[in-house]
Amino acid sequence: MNFVKKYDIIIISFILAVSLVFWMTYEVFFADQSPKAEIYYYSELVKTVDLGQGIEKNFSIEENPNVVFHLFEDGSICFEESDCPHKLCIKAGKQYWPGQFAACLPNGIILKIVPGENSDRDVDIVIGN
Amino acid sequence: METFRLSENMNKIQILVFSGLLFAIALILSLVESFFPIMPIAVPGVKIGLSNIAVMYAIFFLGARQAYAIAILKALFVFFTRGFIASTLSLSGGLLSVTGMILMLFLLKEKVSYSGISVVGAVSHNIGQFLVVSLIYVGVSIWAYLPVLLITGVIAGLLTATLLRILLPALKRLV
Repeated sequence: MNFVKKYDIIIISFILAVSLVFWMTYEVFFADQSPKAEIYYYSELVKTVDLGQGIEKNFSIEENPNVVFHLFEDGSICFEESDCPHKLCIKAGKQYWPGQFAACLPNGIILKIVPGENSDRDVDIVIGN
Repeated sequence: METFRLSENMNKIQILVFSGLLFAIALILSLVESFFPIMPIAVPGVKIGLSNIAVMYAIFFLGARQAYAIAILKALFVFFTRGFIASTLSLSGGLLSVTGMILMLFLLKEKVSYSGISVVGAVSHNIGQFLVVSLIYVGVSIWAYLPVLLITGVIAGLLTATLLRILLPALKRLV
């Protein structure tokens, strides 16, 4: 009773090869471009940042200069400074993957990461004024 | 690889009792598995599939019908405990898994070991579930997830095959 026989290896390598083909196909044809960060002020989109720029910078939105965002070289983004009481937005930390989000509710600001191409695969968040 | 038919030396009632016992083992194994802490790589939908050990044992030593019976009963049990969707997933995965393993055994016979059959079982289980999930979540691109399921299926299959090999002496004493 061998632990592994020849056909086992053939089967396993076949499965691995199929998954590799799937993976490559996905990477070549369907992979997202680098994600974008959207910043909402009271549920209105005020700024869109391309996360694939490879630069490091601080910026804020016109509507509220007290809230500072930081874009990292590796394509992640976070709340850097804010005048809100609990700093939950800063504690939310770095955001990178589409679907992640951070919010500063006292200031009515939402930062959310969306896929690079146009699609509806992202979270819906609404803040009332 | 030993695949002697225990069922040849058993009468109908013994086969029935033994199938029931294996079904119970399958349930216990999946219960035990749910106690395991979440694995370090948190990938949704990935588990070892310990209950496949009982199903494999049924295929090797009882017969195809008993293995299918265990898969269907397990889906029924899932229906009562976790609801319709979970049950459909369990049924599609279970049926495809048993079919895949029986095909392997039938086509390759002695050329393949427990490991190969178990890997085919685990991978076809994942494919069966994936097909149902892709019917439920129409329009969401979950195809990117298939390679993950295939590769983890290979790993899980190898694990359960190893466990079956370790457990075989103990299971033999059952009979």
